[in-house]
Amino acid sequence: MDADQFMRRMFRVFLVSLFVLGNCGLLYAADGGIDFLDDAFYEETPKEDAVKDPFEGMNRVVFTFNDYAFMWVMNPVATGYSELLPSDIRGSIANFFYNLQEPMRAVNSLLQVRFADAGTLLARFAINSVGGVGGLGDPATLMGFQKVEASFCQTLYTWGVPDGIFLMIPLMGPTTLRDVSGGLVDRFSVTPFYYSWAAGWEESVGIFMGKEVNNLSLHLGEYEKMKEMSVDSYTAVRDGFYQHRRQRWEASVVYDQAENTIERQLE
Amino acid sequence: MQNFRCSLLFFLSLFLLSAVTRVSAAAPPDPTEQLKPVIDKVVGLLKDTEFRKRPIVDQSEVIVKIVSERFDFREMSKRVMGKQWRKLSTEQQDQFVALFTKLLQYVYIGQVDGYLDKKVEFAQQRIKRDRAEVKTLIVGENKTIPVSYIMILRKDTWMAYDIAVEGVSLIRNYMEQISTVLRDDKFPGLISMLEKKIAKLEAGEKDE
Repeated sequence: MDADQFMRRMFRVFLVSLFVLGNCGLLYAADGGIDFLDDAFYEETPKEDAVKDPFEGMNRVVFTFNDYAFMWVMNPVATGYSELLPSDIRGSIANFFYNLQEPMRAVNSLLQVRFADAGTLLARFAINSVGGVGGLGDPATLMGFQKVEASFCQTLYTWGVPDGIFLMIPLMGPTTLRDVSGGLVDRFSVTPFYYSWAAGWEESVGIFMGKEVNNLSLHLGEYEKMKEMSVDSYTAVRDGFYQHRRQRWEASVVYDQAENTIERQLE
Repeated sequence: MQNFRCSLLFFLSLFLLSAVTRVSAAAPPDPTEQLKPVIDKVVGLLKDTEFRKRPIVDQSEVIVKIVSERFDFREMSKRVMGKQWRKLSTEQQDQFVALFTKLLQYVYIGQVDGYLDKKVEFAQQRIKRDRAEVKTLIVGENKTIPVSYIMILRKDTWMAYDIAVEGVSLIRNYMEQISTVLRDDKFPGLISMLEKKIAKLEAGEKDE
């Protein structure tokens, strides 16, 4: 009888401790976005992967199309282009386009109530436009103004707009319903810059394509490697997209600057 | 009265237990110190042109022997399977571990191969109880890629069970893929798919 009672009590204590420990785990996961050291990361379905993919069949068809388009058109073009120009020049071109987007990033970080980041972004834009010869160089990073990410997609996310459904867009790749609209705003917000130099829409498209090819030329071989090592490349791309996005947004922390991070959190 | 004594005994033992675990955790080995020689060895081997002339199957065998010292492939396979792991028979588990380990080897060699002209820097480490994250930076011309090794403490050795490249967990990514394959093709389908994949990787590399 006593032994029985004892066992029952043990069980109750066990339950209580489980509950307490379980909550600790949740706390850890809540403060810093992702924590790889927490087993919950591997055991629970993260909220992104719970985003519905009702059009999986269609998305897979688009994915196959994108795969062909990439392997037969985009990749050869970018490879040829990468042989024409040395990587530092291509890096400068990428910097130039990145710099054009900087004011829009500042606006978005204001919309997300990240005032310190907005200041950093404006400083980056000013320094790189003047000191970096129109944004070709990136002296701001050397001066301690690290790159900060802030897109309209992220603004919508901060405002609580849900992802909706997962979509694979022809020639654009993985996204969600919310990010399609956010992405369009981000892209069109810089087109006035293109219009002021371009003679017509054809030239604007040309500039846009040039930018995309240039960016791709800096990431050659990454997609092939991913495909080579995956058992289901569609799912690999979908999960990679979610993980990468979460990393950029929730833990938008400069990697090797721990002190900087703490300061930013204190602000 | 007896109840009281029982619960007293219970809490006392809990207290003692926590004290013991604290003592044993007082001086854990340094994860970076344990990981670094293995990574350096692999990078050194892959840079060695004599070694690279050997067939890819040979190369991966040598590398796996070195890497197994620090990488827990069984743990990786278990995590990748998620809840499905317990539903598999022991033979199925072993079969999956063997195949998945092979796939990871080729993936790892491929990854390291891409980084050979770059410099690997050990940045910082973070320890939480029996888990550790060793952050490394792969410094290239235009770009620095953060690569984290996630490790678990087994007795007095740290064993890696996940690699996160630019914040993307490899194991988490495989988990999603494998659950999709299991949904569509069940376990035999997954095994034959892995076999095909490995055959392709072994053959594909030989052509070079």
